[in-house]
Amino acid sequence: MSDMEEYRGLFVTESRENLDTISQALLTLEECEDRETIDEIFRSAHTIKGASASMGYLKLEKICHSMEDVFDLIRNEKLKVSAPLTDLFLACTDQIDDILDIIEDGGDDSGCSIDDLVSSLESWAHGEEGGDATSTGDKTGDDSAEEASAEDVPSQTGPGDTYVVGIDLAPECSMKDVRAMIVLSNLEEIGRIVSTKPSREEIESGKIEAHFEVTVQSEAGVDALRAASSGTEIASVTVTVGNESPRPAPKPRQKVEEAPPKSDHHDRPREIKNIRVDIHLLDQMMNLVEDLVINRGRLKQIAQKNQIKEFDEALNMVGRSVADLQNLMMHIRMIPLDHIFNRLPRVVRDVAQHDHKDVEFIIEGGDTELDRSVMDGLNDPLLHLIRNAVDHGVESPEERKAAGKSEKGLVRLSARRDRDNVVIRIEDDGAGVNYDKVRQKAVSRGLYTAEEAATLTDDQVIEVLFNPGFSTADTITDISGRGVGLDVVRSAIEALKGSIKVESVRGKGTCFELVLPPTMAIVEVMMIRINGKRCAIPISNVVEVAMLKNDGVHRVGNSRVILLRDEVLPLYTLDDMFGTSRSGEVLVVLQYRSKKCGIVADVVEGQQEVVVKPLSALVGSCPGVGGVTIPGDGEVVPVLDVNTIV
Amino acid sequence: MGRILIVDDTLFMRTLLKNILFSGGHTIVGEAENGEEAIAKYQELKPDLVTMDVVMPKMNGIDALKNIRAADPNAKVVMCTAVGQEQMVKLAVKSGAKGYIVKPFQAPKVLEEVKNVLGA
Repeated sequence: MSDMEEYRGLFVTESRENLDTISQALLTLEECEDRETIDEIFRSAHTIKGASASMGYLKLEKICHSMEDVFDLIRNEKLKVSAPLTDLFLACTDQIDDILDIIEDGGDDSGCSIDDLVSSLESWAHGEEGGDATSTGDKTGDDSAEEASAEDVPSQTGPGDTYVVGIDLAPECSMKDVRAMIVLSNLEEIGRIVSTKPSREEIESGKIEAHFEVTVQSEAGVDALRAASSGTEIASVTVTVGNESPRPAPKPRQKVEEAPPKSDHHDRPREIKNIRVDIHLLDQMMNLVEDLVINRGRLKQIAQKNQIKEFDEALNMVGRSVADLQNLMMHIRMIPLDHIFNRLPRVVRDVAQHDHKDVEFIIEGGDTELDRSVMDGLNDPLLHLIRNAVDHGVESPEERKAAGKSEKGLVRLSARRDRDNVVIRIEDDGAGVNYDKVRQKAVSRGLYTAEEAATLTDDQVIEVLFNPGFSTADTITDISGRGVGLDVVRSAIEALKGSIKVESVRGKGTCFELVLPPTMAIVEVMMIRINGKRCAIPISNVVEVAMLKNDGVHRVGNSRVILLRDEVLPLYTLDDMFGTSRSGEVLVVLQYRSKKCGIVADVVEGQQEVVVKPLSALVGSCPGVGGVTIPGDGEVVPVLDVNTIV
Repeated sequence: MGRILIVDDTLFMRTLLKNILFSGGHTIVGEAENGEEAIAKYQELKPDLVTMDVVMPKMNGIDALKNIRAADPNAKVVMCTAVGQEQMVKLAVKSGAKGYIVKPFQAPKVLEEVKNVLGA
């Protein structure tokens, strides 16, 4: 299969797309059984099957084929879609997904076990088919075939001699009946078919061996008949002049306008106006654009220094193009949240079914766009929060009934643009956080004493939830795990330079709100100078800037603190990073989560948007520095990592 | 050799077929993703031969074949089919398809069929 190697990537990508279509359509099907959706699944399974066979992934082909069989029955209304059947199909899509993963990593499907799924599918296919020996496809095909063929049969007798054409089909011919039909249709173009052996009906219904004979009346001559009869997979042709007198056409059939199966419905438009680009290429391009921005800055300085007016003007034009290019690159990297939202209905369904809950899942604002790098990091936290909402948030139907709510729970996932940020909310109308229970748990875990716990505000109690390994769930489920989660969720969101907030009302429900920057590559920073050297601080970490008054600085042990409006903040000078600042007279207050500190700076230069680049492996890890940026003048400026400083 | 229009809804199959046909010295004059596009492209490009997938969105291969043959009774259309789709192919042959190739494609068979249909 080595010659197929080059198609592997394409195969995987396209099959995944089809697989996504199938899973989504399966869920739609649970809501309402409509023909278009069934057709869509059938088509997608068929496509994966065809591609798999071409690639030589026989197990993949087999499983798709079995799915196709069952869906053919559904399509022909011989089988109803039911929950166990949907489960089976979803299990199949999972298996296919796994196989695709293996294939993507360079393996093949030979090691995968699909027999269980295939035999389940087959039992569905056969269990419902009953005594009808031939599949439904055959039936409709036959009907339409006969009717359509009437068009080809000339009704009047034609002139010319009668010949008997004997044709031997090649043994490797896979569809002998079809091949024979092509020969018949070719012969018909130059003459009139008087009879065939076996009969035309038998040929068309597949009852044909390697040899068949056609009696044809034609003016075209032996050579033309021979040429019309030969072709692919035809082993030999003999033409003899026959003596048969012309007979009327076999039998007149009524002509019916036949619509072939599945022609009268309107497919959902699936036009693709996009091209596929490897994301690494986009990343590289982005990097190049950034370099361009930096170099433009350098050129600008040179132009200013040498006072070349013409050069300056030309550079301005370049600058505009570069800025446009940068914006465009940003835009290209944005993808709608639907990409990850689309998988979640399945998650909700699975969890709800596992817990025997009835949950309605609403998604809003899936068209909101996010940078791909942010999107990548968002998938797992979101998955976790959604599982949480169904597993821990929504109560069982009995509890809900007792609490006077409708038995069907509601989980709502919404996204919207809020100025520069994207806000994602995960809301449920479940029981909400049981504050007292959290307090008890906090005490039993030794996080707080009983007295402390009693005085915790609700907000502080919520904060407890984010402690590593904290869970209020009484039972550990295999779905939401053991509450290892909220702390991981928070770290993941913060790694994306976002934040997470929880609101919960007992008995009414819980809402997680994620605020994310639309992109990670560009960060708004505050430029300050410490000891004459520039450094940048992400603006999201800056609380305030104040004049430093020496009488506010106190010593506590070895460290210095500052009293600012009755708040004691540790004060750092960052001497080891930048050297001692002689004219340190500005206090910049930083915050990470709930921790605050102050640092001393010479001067605040202002705010700007910069492209933050990670430190290369050559420099190694450098505590306190999250990355570097290169503003227009070409100087390399470190960006502080406030997390490690605090 | 022939000027060929490839009709298939998947990029994968189109690429595969394109490479096979190209290796046989044919010119690929165009590609279409569905039946509607195929009809439009046929009118525009007037290819010598069309390879037509059967199962496609928007308009399936059979309908596209009928439309193309209605517009040009001499159109040469080869159906791309899979084992199990015999009935569809028969319908296609009755509607004027000149040949068929079976997925998974085997390059020599594809080229032979295309050559025969072009030569007929």
